[in-house]
Amino acid sequence: MRLLDAELVETREILPRQWLQRYRAPWLAAGARAGQFVHVRTPDYSGLVLRRPISINTVDRVAGEITLHFRIAGKGTELLARARPGDTVPMLGPLGRPFEVDPRTHHVLLIAGGLGVAGVRFLVDESLEAGRQVTLLFGAATAGDVYPSTLLPDEVEYVVATEDGSLGQPGRVTDLLPAYEAWADQAFACGPYPMLSALASLAAGRQARLGVARLGRKRGTGRPVPPGSPQARRRSWLQVSMEQHMGCAVGACLGCVVWGVEGPLRVCREGPVFAAEEIAWEEPA
Amino acid sequence: MKRRRSIVTSGPRARSPYAGEPRLGLRAPRNRAGGVPGTPGAPETTAGTPAPGRAAGSGPSGYARVPGGAPSPVTGSNGMPVAGPVPGIAGAAVDLSVDLAPKRPGGLVLQNPVLVASGTFGYGIEYGEVVDVQRLGAICCKGTTLKPRAGNPPPRVTETPGGMLNSIGLQNPGVDAVIERYAPLWAGWQVPVLVNVAGESIDDYVGVAQRLDGVPGVAGIELNISCPNVGKGGLQFAVDRDAAAAVTAAVRRATDLPLLVKLSPNVTDIRPIARAIEDAGADAITAINTLSGIAIDRGTGRPLLGNVYGGLSGPAIRPVGLRIVYEVAQVVSIPVVAIGGISTLDDALDYLAAGAIAVQVGTAIFADPEVPLRLVDELRAYCAARGLSSHLPLVGTALPARPGRPSAKGVEYRP
Repeated sequence: MRLLDAELVETREILPRQWLQRYRAPWLAAGARAGQFVHVRTPDYSGLVLRRPISINTVDRVAGEITLHFRIAGKGTELLARARPGDTVPMLGPLGRPFEVDPRTHHVLLIAGGLGVAGVRFLVDESLEAGRQVTLLFGAATAGDVYPSTLLPDEVEYVVATEDGSLGQPGRVTDLLPAYEAWADQAFACGPYPMLSALASLAAGRQARLGVARLGRKRGTGRPVPPGSPQARRRSWLQVSMEQHMGCAVGACLGCVVWGVEGPLRVCREGPVFAAEEIAWEEPA
Repeated sequence: MKRRRSIVTSGPRARSPYAGEPRLGLRAPRNRAGGVPGTPGAPETTAGTPAPGRAAGSGPSGYARVPGGAPSPVTGSNGMPVAGPVPGIAGAAVDLSVDLAPKRPGGLVLQNPVLVASGTFGYGIEYGEVVDVQRLGAICCKGTTLKPRAGNPPPRVTETPGGMLNSIGLQNPGVDAVIERYAPLWAGWQVPVLVNVAGESIDDYVGVAQRLDGVPGVAGIELNISCPNVGKGGLQFAVDRDAAAAVTAAVRRATDLPLLVKLSPNVTDIRPIARAIEDAGADAITAINTLSGIAIDRGTGRPLLGNVYGGLSGPAIRPVGLRIVYEVAQVVSIPVVAIGGISTLDDALDYLAAGAIAVQVGTAIFADPEVPLRLVDELRAYCAARGLSSHLPLVGTALPARPGRPSAKGVEYRP
């Protein structure tokens, strides 16, 4: 974690009101891992008091550059979208805990809902680098919001579902999961809360449906791993990256909690990536 | 260079308060990107660095700039003119220390008047990687209760025009866990840590205070009788004069620790409450806590925060905070610590003029964690540029002359 000024190199609108910005930030590029985020202060800061948490979308370690992918959701992101190449943007990061991929995992399933692709995009690169096979399931409301496949590496199997059926499979991205749950050794998801909640309930029944052996040691051998530890998360089939209104992003203000089975969990410190079993999921309203 | 030393400065750490070496329990403050040594944001490395060099061009306000070379009517701390064409006095000669508990000598002397506000700085360790916390005046830790509290349902924070709403709901692990986990760490720190104490009943407050009494690392208590985000307790003590006095007196009897009481702005008239708290034995008053407010989720048309109500903080509440500090400072003689939307030197100077002896920075830390330390540097440079050996002459300049005080002139010419 460090306070730094990132220089904007390139900015473009890849989808309606969704921007992809490339920053020169060697320190972030060198140390960041998939799933982590940066806390961004917009260049123009009049009237704002909070930074904006944004997932690290991709990292170019050689060039010392990172990209951020965000949607204009309010004044802060609007001001950020107005930044021009050459502007410096203060950032705090890398923050949060990354995705934990089991070393034995070979088939990686990524599930993204809308802008959630920004949360798992870095894991695409990391998994391919590690020689794993990657399938990305992407869900959007309509064809106009579908993440362009040109922004993904060729090695990825990219499956799209749209709710109005205008592109790819008609329906929700969660409907695609049953076809891939047997293939996938581990799944990683990012998207709106109802999507993650639905995935978590699917994942909870997966073992019973498939009758597969659980990854990890047999029960009764060795010490139990505490829930929330990297070891425990590595054994979890489904890991989710969550979002919440955020204050400090370092764990001081306790503003960004989600409710876990053992009480409140800070998205900025214990998250943003959680094992699905750690979260006390609410029924979608 | 004579300097009072805080009692929490103990043993091998008893060094100049301005030495910036890394200390126990924290990683060394790395040089931040863009933070070149010598700029106001960077930690001081030598105790004797004169301010003018550091102050030149510092900060957004023009105050920190020292008039170059122009001899100014400067006097030293002994009242004698300082020899030579000194532009202001050296920053190192500015003593920013403040005594927040004058009734107990040496009880709570801070190295500078910039504190970090409760709830925005955790337990002092969260920002340790990016801020040199040892250079702060003091740290007010997260609100602590007798029993662990899980806090309010999310979402808990949201941004509002010029401010933010929070409804954390006093999430904390309980006083025993705080003492066990953090007090040993604080005991090794140079910066004093004030534990913010909250509760639902007077017995709760007394219980927490008794447990904190005599714990190494706990420099004082900030009594939070004004949290707007919990259903029971908290605010009910701050809005009633007798209840505020009762809880203050009860805690006063339970502990000898320096006792600050944090006031709520959600009251009709703050003055009788402040006076009652002073009479009940508080060492200092902190003003203000957040203003109660709500936000609406435009998507659903329902309240946005999980708790419906939240506390408003940030620049939006600064005029309210100024008014309350101005009112409180006129009716009490104990120190007033100001809090409410402070993010620049100008804000801090306004509060000093309104009668505050020290300031707390809260919400501004979220946007820029370096604000508190920058304020210290800028205040020192400001005092140096004006030939002040302390910031205390800036305190209370906006206050009206106290009525009813017989003037010396009147006594002299009595027939």
